Amino acid sequence: CHALTTLMGRGGHVIIRFALGGCTNRPFFRIVAANSRRARDGKYLEQLGCLDPLPNAHGEKVAGLNLERLRYWLGCGAQLSRPAEKLLGLAGFLPLHPMTVTGAERLRRRRQREQQTEAAPADGSAETGTDTGTGTGTGP
Amino acid sequence: SLLSLRCHSQQPSDPSAILKLPAKRKLMPTVQGKAAQPKPAFTDEAVQTLLYKMTGLDLHKVFRPEKKGLKPPHYKLMTEAQLEEATRKAIEEAKTKLIMPPVLNEREPIDDVLAEDKILEGTETAKYVFTDLSYSIPHRERFIVVREPNGVLRKATWEERDRMIQIFFPKEGRRVIPPTLFKDEKLGTVFQQDRHEDVLNMCIAQFEPDSPDYIRVHHRTYEDIEKHGKYDLLRSTRHFGGMVWYLLSRKKADGLLIDMINRDLLDDATSLITLYHMLHPECQSAKKAKEQKLQGVDLIKVFVKTESQREGYIQLALQAYEEAMATSSAS
Repeated sequence: CHALTTLMGRGGHVIIRFALGGCTNRPFFRIVAANSRRARDGKYLEQLGCLDPLPNAHGEKVAGLNLERLRYWLGCGAQLSRPAEKLLGLAGFLPLHPMTVTGAERLRRRRQREQQTEAAPADGSAETGTDTGTGTGTGP
Repeated sequence: SLLSLRCHSQQPSDPSAILKLPAKRKLMPTVQGKAAQPKPAFTDEAVQTLLYKMTGLDLHKVFRPEKKGLKPPHYKLMTEAQLEEATRKAIEEAKTKLIMPPVLNEREPIDDVLAEDKILEGTETAKYVFTDLSYSIPHRERFIVVREPNGVLRKATWEERDRMIQIFFPKEGRRVIPPTLFKDEKLGTVFQQDRHEDVLNMCIAQFEPDSPDYIRVHHRTYEDIEKHGKYDLLRSTRHFGGMVWYLLSRKKADGLLIDMINRDLLDDATSLITLYHMLHPECQSAKKAKEQKLQGVDLIKVFVKTESQREGYIQLALQAYEEAMATSSAS
């Protein structure tokens, strides 16, 4: 694992993260092994894959991962950024990230609360039945 | 070039390597129990030699000009010996161009769930397709998995696999989304223009040999050729063997037999009948031929009497051939 010896000066470690590319309103991520002190889109050690966050004509978000080289860098002691960890958890290469689970639970709870607030005023206005015809639920 | 066959990017194109594909059984209805010996497969040596003999080697057709960029013609001055050498080399090249593409059974659909995470239900709107981009894995063993919006992590279907592999490892002549030419309605137009060979070449470039689309397009083409009797379009091309195999497994050899006799290709006709007997050893003509060890025209006559539907036509064609032979030998 020679990459650790070619770091400039002191500090900085290899990190596997997303580098953003693409154009306005059209993001595209490259999964990249780079020194942590480099710019997000700057010079990297190696590209390990890509992710297209916008769904294609078949409704899929396409991601490619070079697992062989990923294993090499992880063996060299590379860290992972949180979005990279979440993506690898979704892919099944790593176990599911706990924040993915937490995020899912939070989203579910928020949706439940919104449904209840929708349901409650609807019942309330149905019982009273007078001229307040205000629109219930989330307004604009 | 478009005409060179590449099943997988890793597979060499010499005939022995291609013939080492697992000998899968062809599409045949199940035999009623009595035949003890195994059915001949497309890849058997005997079968391949017979099919190759029938394909013929018309150098003018194999090396006919392809539509490439314009270049002025190149003339060489050669002695007799050099000309023979050049012709011999040309025949070798033609043989490589005539290697038959594989005939495989339709692939089984992939249906494998790797993980089910119900917690993730409702978080995403679109599915994620993850492809393993490691360079040194053969495409058949590549991991391509799909994470559905309902949290299920499953292996990708064959269509998804083909699309992803074409996106990340593009092959020449293949498109990510197959051209509309291969839809059933559009194939008819192409067949009217007699461009069966081009369709089949494009099909080989686009689809894997065991994909349902490949098999469907090939069967459609063979059916159309058989319906209109345009067997000569595929003669001396690499598709001829596949066509003969298809027709023989469905016992539709009559039209081809008539065509061969009309063109005075008696050797091809006898190889056709031999192959038929190898494929259907339980039929009457096969048993008779084996008992009496018939050769040549007798073989055809036995076949005509017992197995064919268009007996009259074949008898007429045989008569015409024999008369022609008699007059030519007399004169």
